[in-house]
Amino acid sequence: MMKSMIAQCKAEILRTVRNRRFIVFSIVMPVMFYFIFTSTLGDIKVGGVDWKAYYLMSMTAFGVIGASINTLSVRFAQERTQGWVRLIRITPLPNGSYVLSKILSQSVINLGTIVFMFLIGHFAKGIDLTLGEWITCGLWIWIGVLPFMALGTLLGTFKSVEVVQVAANIVYMSLSVLGGLWMPLTTMPKIMQDIAQYLPSYRFGQGAWNVLGGVGPDWTGIAILAAYALIFMILSTYILKRQEAV
Amino acid sequence: MPSVITMEHVDKEYKGTHAVKDLSLHIEEGTVTALLGPNGAGKTTTVSMLLGLQKPTRGQIRILGGSPDQPEARQSVGAMLQDISVIDRLTVRETMDLFRSYYVNPLPLAHLLAISGLEKEQNKFATSLSGGQKRRLDFALAMAGDPKILYLDEPTVGMDVGSRQLFWESVRAMAGKGRTIILTTHYLDEADSIADRIIVINQGKVIADGTPAEIKAAQGHKMITFTAGEQLRPDSLEGLPGIADTVWSGRKVKLTSTDTDQLIRTLIQHNLDIRDIEISAGGLEDAFQTLIQGDAK
Repeated sequence: MMKSMIAQCKAEILRTVRNRRFIVFSIVMPVMFYFIFTSTLGDIKVGGVDWKAYYLMSMTAFGVIGASINTLSVRFAQERTQGWVRLIRITPLPNGSYVLSKILSQSVINLGTIVFMFLIGHFAKGIDLTLGEWITCGLWIWIGVLPFMALGTLLGTFKSVEVVQVAANIVYMSLSVLGGLWMPLTTMPKIMQDIAQYLPSYRFGQGAWNVLGGVGPDWTGIAILAAYALIFMILSTYILKRQEAV
Repeated sequence: MPSVITMEHVDKEYKGTHAVKDLSLHIEEGTVTALLGPNGAGKTTTVSMLLGLQKPTRGQIRILGGSPDQPEARQSVGAMLQDISVIDRLTVRETMDLFRSYYVNPLPLAHLLAISGLEKEQNKFATSLSGGQKRRLDFALAMAGDPKILYLDEPTVGMDVGSRQLFWESVRAMAGKGRTIILTTHYLDEADSIADRIIVINQGKVIADGTPAEIKAAQGHKMITFTAGEQLRPDSLEGLPGIADTVWSGRKVKLTSTDTDQLIRTLIQHNLDIRDIEISAGGLEDAFQTLIQGDAK
């Protein structure tokens, strides 16, 4: 059933690109922030890394987190409450394909966002990384966003679309701020820095910043991200099973 | 003719209510069957179980010889369900193509646009369609896989007269091609004109099963309606032989009787103050009301 899977992904991507919320929160806002804060702060260094490159990773991460949490949560909640899922269930589309196609299409969108942000950083701000660094950073952000997709799926189990929309916004904004994606952790009080160590958003950004700083992979960070992904997936599967049991 | 849908002693209980009780049905290939019943009779629960969306508490359901949720059944079944919204940010055409991709032998896009009468709207977003147009889009999606069995659950709710006519014309054309159609509706005249079998369900049980003519005839009631003049008081009709039921609505009076020929003679002989007299055979509506009321007693 490759044909239905491809069609399903194509439809999902079209719907995302046509969504003004996605364009504003995942493309316009990160790009704006990037230009504002690289212009006002100028040529400083954060932890030995050039600020313009550091902040490019922060804003790219911010953009894909926003798109993944918002798009997936709202779409799952909407389609479940408005009966669409029931209609899909009586078609031959296999159960898993519906969820899988949403995750895959979000990945395609995220990849597009990453390439777009990197092109802006390179051509508008003259960021000069080696090809290896670009690819490693890009792959890290592309794959490392998985826990946030799982979080979007979990938020999508709420039964009210309005609640989901507000909750998704609060969650992704606070995760981004507290995880040091808006402003580096070093500008925050000690207690906030300690808390951030346990947040997926900080660990997500840290992976990319480490590449820029020439530091090897941080296994604690990877373990924390994997744990979050696992917990969110188990929780949402459990909740969905309970909701479907009639 | 082979039976394509079989329900054997099906029970469905949930949250303390007994929605369907010991329901057994055999539906033959190529027939159009209407499930009628008051709200909460168990029609939608029955359709949900036939579609494999709900599991029966007891009993067995076979669709085309297999379980309702297996892939062969999914390929051969289409349905218009209630309370399903259209998908946002996709056009009519994109939505239809998406559904066509799910099936091995889908109907051509042009065909789906034609039977739903949405050729002109094909590039509009589905969310911008009117209520009736959305319902017709639902019909096209139900037909996307060229189904052998088609379920229509309250299909014409929200359709205007034009949409409704177009819709039943399309359904009639579909029914001619060996498809089996199961429909539930609140509009009894629709069931009367399209179905070749009517099953009346009340409180989760079958209380009547037959052709529309049989259902009507089984009740055996005909009616005399007239406008009562000033002189006629309700007690003037009491005690007259042959009246099964009397209903006053303002000055309009409806008498039900098994022998309206005799009753009209009686009315004339008593020289009652009545005018605008009409004699009619009961419609499906009346038969249905009588059945439901009879079942409640």
